[in-house]
Amino acid sequence: MSQKDSTVELLTGKGRLGKKSKIPARLDLLQSVTGLFLAIFITFHILFESSILFGKEAMYKLTKMFEGEPFIEGGEPLIITALAFVIFSMFIFHAFLAMRKFPDSYKEYQRYRAHSKLLKHDDTNLWFIQITTGFVMFFLGSIHLYMMMTEPGKIGPYASSDRIYSDWMWPMYLLLLIAVVLHSWVGIYRLIIKWGWFDGKDPRKNRKRSKLAIKTLIVIYLLLGLASLAVYMKIGYDHQDDYGSRYISESHT
Amino acid sequence: MKIIYTDALIVGGGLAGLRSAIAAREKGLDTIVISMVPVKRSHSAAAQGGMQASLGNSVKGEGDNEDVHFSDTVKGSDWGCDQDVARMFVTTAPKAIRELAAWGVPWNRIGKGPREVIINGEKETIVEKEAAHGLINARDFGGTKKWRTCYTSDATGHSMLYAVANEALRLDVEIHDKKEAISIIHENGICGGVVARDLISGELIAYVARGTMLATGGYGRIYKQSTNAIICKGIGIAIALETGIVTLGNMEAVQFHPTPIVPSGILLTEGCRGDGGVLRDKDGHRFMPDYEPEKKELASRDVVSRRMIEHIRKGKGVPSPYGDHLWLDISILGREHIEKNLHDVQDISKTFNGIDPADEGEKGWMPVLPMQHYSMGGIRVKPNGESPAMKGLFCSGEASCWDLHGFNRLGGNSVSEAVVAGMIVGEYFANYCSETHLTTNTFTIQRFLEAQKHYLEEILSYDGGINIFDIKDRMRTIMQEKVGVFRNGKDLTDAVNELEDLFKMLKEITVTDKSLCSNPELNEAYRVTKMLKLALCAAKGALERTESRGAHFREDFSKRDDENWLKRTIATWTNPNDTMPTLSYEEIDISKMEMPPAFRGYGKKGAIILNPLSEKREEEIAKIKESLGSVDRFSVQEAVMPFDLQQEYKRKNERVGVGYD
Amino acid sequence: MINKSAQIEENKEGYREIKITVFRYNSQNKDAKPEYQTYKLVETPGMTLYIALIKIWSTMDHNLSFDFVCRAGICGSCSMVVNGKPKLACKTRTSEFEDGKITLLPLPTFKHIKDLSVDTGNWMNAMSKKMESWIHTKEVTDIAAIEKPVEPDVAQAVFELDRCIECGICLAACSTKVMKEDFVGAVGLNRVARFSIDPHDERTDEEFYELIGDDDGVFGCMSLMGCEDHCPKDLPLQTKIAYMRRKMVKV
Ligand SMILES: Cc1cc2nc3c(=O)[nH]c(=O)nc-3n(C[C@H](O)[C@H](O)[C@H](O)COP(=O)(O)OP(=O)(O)OC[C@H]3O[C@@H](n4cnc5c(N)ncnc54)[C@H](O)[C@@H]3O)c2cc1C
Ligand code: HEM
Ligand code: HEM
Ligand code: SF4
Ligand code: F3S
Ligand code: FES
Repeated sequence: MSQKDSTVELLTGKGRLGKKSKIPARLDLLQSVTGLFLAIFITFHILFESSILFGKEAMYKLTKMFEGEPFIEGGEPLIITALAFVIFSMFIFHAFLAMRKFPDSYKEYQRYRAHSKLLKHDDTNLWFIQITTGFVMFFLGSIHLYMMMTEPGKIGPYASSDRIYSDWMWPMYLLLLIAVVLHSWVGIYRLIIKWGWFDGKDPRKNRKRSKLAIKTLIVIYLLLGLASLAVYMKIGYDHQDDYGSRYISESHT
Repeated sequence: MKIIYTDALIVGGGLAGLRSAIAAREKGLDTIVISMVPVKRSHSAAAQGGMQASLGNSVKGEGDNEDVHFSDTVKGSDWGCDQDVARMFVTTAPKAIRELAAWGVPWNRIGKGPREVIINGEKETIVEKEAAHGLINARDFGGTKKWRTCYTSDATGHSMLYAVANEALRLDVEIHDKKEAISIIHENGICGGVVARDLISGELIAYVARGTMLATGGYGRIYKQSTNAIICKGIGIAIALETGIVTLGNMEAVQFHPTPIVPSGILLTEGCRGDGGVLRDKDGHRFMPDYEPEKKELASRDVVSRRMIEHIRKGKGVPSPYGDHLWLDISILGREHIEKNLHDVQDISKTFNGIDPADEGEKGWMPVLPMQHYSMGGIRVKPNGESPAMKGLFCSGEASCWDLHGFNRLGGNSVSEAVVAGMIVGEYFANYCSETHLTTNTFTIQRFLEAQKHYLEEILSYDGGINIFDIKDRMRTIMQEKVGVFRNGKDLTDAVNELEDLFKMLKEITVTDKSLCSNPELNEAYRVTKMLKLALCAAKGALERTESRGAHFREDFSKRDDENWLKRTIATWTNPNDTMPTLSYEEIDISKMEMPPAFRGYGKKGAIILNPLSEKREEEIAKIKESLGSVDRFSVQEAVMPFDLQQEYKRKNERVGVGYD
Repeated sequence: MINKSAQIEENKEGYREIKITVFRYNSQNKDAKPEYQTYKLVETPGMTLYIALIKIWSTMDHNLSFDFVCRAGICGSCSMVVNGKPKLACKTRTSEFEDGKITLLPLPTFKHIKDLSVDTGNWMNAMSKKMESWIHTKEVTDIAAIEKPVEPDVAQAVFELDRCIECGICLAACSTKVMKEDFVGAVGLNRVARFSIDPHDERTDEEFYELIGDDDGVFGCMSLMGCEDHCPKDLPLQTKIAYMRRKMVKV
């Protein structure tokens, strides 16, 4: 057992061949990959969620599509459970990786805050947004995902609206929405800078451009999400007396 | 009080000090460098324009070699230099630059084919050879026949210093920064090390070594207006003087640079003019061709500085709240050239004056005025870098009077000197350290430590109410006004007297804070004392020297007088209670010269009193050459003036197209 | 005795008064307490913080400590925090501050000495050693022979990165460095980038990985860009850190 590389590293700070571990490189890359994946997922998620803006039928169709209706008669909610499980794992893994970047102690946190207040520097502040929203999501996102995994069948124009309105889930969603929109777009901006994606001929100008684009997208996505949430609220309000009853597709009647 | 022992001790971490440290480490010696500031902050970092070495890569450098560099250097020095040293230097400089290239200095490189340059204010196209592609480039500098100044944009000193410092770190040279040497430990005419002060804790430390090298840079800050860093106070030179034994050479030989920006005194590199920038007066007229039709803006520094002041005295200066100045115009070089090759100049001008020199026309002209720039004088040393008066004390770089520069140094020759001396003197020094044993006894060390402790306490006990900053200010003003570009007997007499009065006043100062540690006022108090001694050496030396040579120009003795003054001024401070240095002279022997004194080829004609020995030596040389028949230039040189140099450095240098010829 | 600075003060009409507040603390003195001290002085044309501090030091408070060397923005000695931003004091003009109020703090993340003075030299030397900031090659150079040719563009690119003056501003502007003591910062990463593009250096990416392939190195950087936005030499830190990161994950 003491022959292991990790033991050598414990004792010497380097691997058996006197080389540094390649793990930090993998972790750094994985953090970006998981972040990117989650961010892409969320951009579509919010778009799908906003299908409610086009009416209950649109949202219903989309939900059924995710349950695999074209292939499975009546749809299979377990597909959602599976999807949610995959996302959840990714989510936890990403959060786990991100922990490395969190201040380790109150002292570090205090130093960071004092410093960033002094510096008043845009990108440094953006990072603060990112860790706080990440922290918030760790709890709220977990709740949401747990629900989606355990009650995959309860998704639909009425079921969702009831949950949001009558089950008092809306405050959580509101917070989660703000957090996830900020976190994912700021995260994407960070990815652009971190890996130098759009450096082009004039990296400084392109960084400014990227930041502007990101800020615009944050506004668009927040508006979209808020509008959807408002519609769910409205439906939930109208539907409160029939709480629990499911939406029946127009095509079935 | 603590004692640190080492084999080789180097005071000063500029180019000269660090390169010497490398030489010592390469011999396996334990080497410590102490420096007032972190070594990479040394003033060497400020050198912008470049380093001279006769590589002859560029078409404009074709035909360049050691001989041409030698002749330029000797003429530049106004025959004040030691020609042996000049030979050692020019032979080693190409090697120095190639060594630096291998250490990673990103020298600007030649691209083959046509390239647009500005010569004499006119655009010209030159075509670089295929064979020179990728080799080290050079630019034009004042007082040189060929384009010989190699550069990295305008941060040459910075790149060089970082490469040398990193190499020193690689070799595990120990670097102790924020330590200031304040006295030299010596016994029986042998140097044992220095007493240094930890500038953080105030603690006194004795650094004891087999050999000690001072590479502490110049003393420009004794002048009010100077391009030098604020640490260039000559403390290293002053502590050598304070031994009472060590001799200083040519302290009056102070160079003024034509183009520091007004009023901050920050240097705009000679590269500005080298690349084709021109000087203009209040009418926008380019006046240098009127005075120097051949070399124009690129005559040597002393000449250009004097012509500028002369022109201002004719009423052609541009009036400003900081006095009259002239303009430096580089806008004609074009924005692209400026942004690429003179980036720092543009940066300085924009930051400190709000002027973008790339703007066309008058808008982009920068206000300039000659100011103190370089100290040719310093600790007098033999060609091997050792003080003739104290064994085991070596000196290199600007702090020394090795005597490469005589009365005027050429632009680009001093970073070059710093590195080359680091190689040559560094090796002699290392050999000395290897062959010597520590002899200084602890009692002596303790005595020197105690002396400094008492001295500092004594300063704190003064209570005359005078502010040390006022004394400093006054000293610097006197030097500026009376020991400047133009000098005369009356002003110099005044200066010497006033400086002596100031010196006597030093015991009447009051240092407000009485603490021995982290007390910047106390630092100033002992530094100003040392600076005043150097100021006195310079002023007295200038007063006594009744001739004009290189940068030393006497209005009342405007001729170079080889008959009476072909000699070095030697200064000592024989008694600690003296208020004036003791001067003596060291003859420069024409009969051994490879290039006897003549007209420099620029500056006023007919302003020389030639020594008859000059002609005699010319004839001698002609005879030697004749007797040799047709042999190569190396044999001729060897026959006319043989010189000693380490075998490794004396080897012939290879050049593109001509091989080792 | 004539005093030039006094003369300037006399014709002070038209010049405004500025207030400079300085952090005062002597880390060498165990009994000292940190405090702020404010000095009022007349602003002269083109005044920089160097001129202002020298003025305060020589006429008002002889005990004030700070570090200037070149006073021309070349040596990197005088970095300090000016109204929250780390800057080279000698290159900062007082007229940049419209309300005439300037607060000066010593550079964070470095060992504090006294007032505005911190110890950058030892940290930078240790960093240079840790980054093995010198050319590694097996080739023996004959210094009398013609030098190895280098493409002009490559030499220029190396020079661009060689311009770093070790001023420490990128560290003082980096929240990562503020939190994680051992982080090498942009200055270290840039140094490695500099050698990795130098044709004289024979090190492979694997070897560079040994220097910066961990969370104290390039993977510790969180792309906060404080370095890029404050570097007084305008070094392309953003792109060079990204460049090193791309290289290092490929190892
Ligand atoms: C603005 C400017 C531009 C220049 N441009 C050029 C150029 O383009 N080409 C050229 O060839 N030359 C140029 N020079 C001149 C050249 O830079 C210097 O002559 C040369 O760098 C001196 O190097 P040095 O090693 O002797 O001393 P420095 O680099 O000055 O180093 C002195 C060292 O000694 C230390 N020190 C001093 N006193 C003490 C003490 N008492 N105790 C401990 N340490 C001490 C300092 O901390 C420092 O480390 C320029 C000079 C200036 C001012
Ligand atoms: C538990 C919840 C989460 C936490 C705690 C968290 C935390 C973090 C932190 C601290 C970072 C910054 C890492 C750095 O600066 O290097 C980060 C990066 C990122 N996060 Fe999250 N995050 C969470 C969830 C998410 C989600 C749900 C998404 C997508 C919507 C996401 C997308 C991203 C992206 C794209 C990045 C940039 C990746 C990178 O810099 O390499 N994160 N996350
Ligand atoms: C596969 C996994 C997921 C599924 C199936 C899913 C499903 C849903 C559904 C059905 C809704 C509508 C409200 C409801 O029914 O309760 C919703 C809303 C929401 N979800 Fe998810 N979700 C998933 C993952 C995530 C993740 C990882 C996040 C962020 C961390 C997230 C954030 C949100 C937000 C913010 C809303 C409110 C949307 C709005 O206001 O428009 N979801 N999600
Ligand atoms: S990278 Fe820029 S900010 Fe950092 S030390 Fe170098 S010059 Fe200063
Ligand atoms: S500020 Fe720090 S986190 Fe990275 S991008 Fe610059 S080093
Ligand atoms: S003093 Fe050198 S950079 Fe400011």
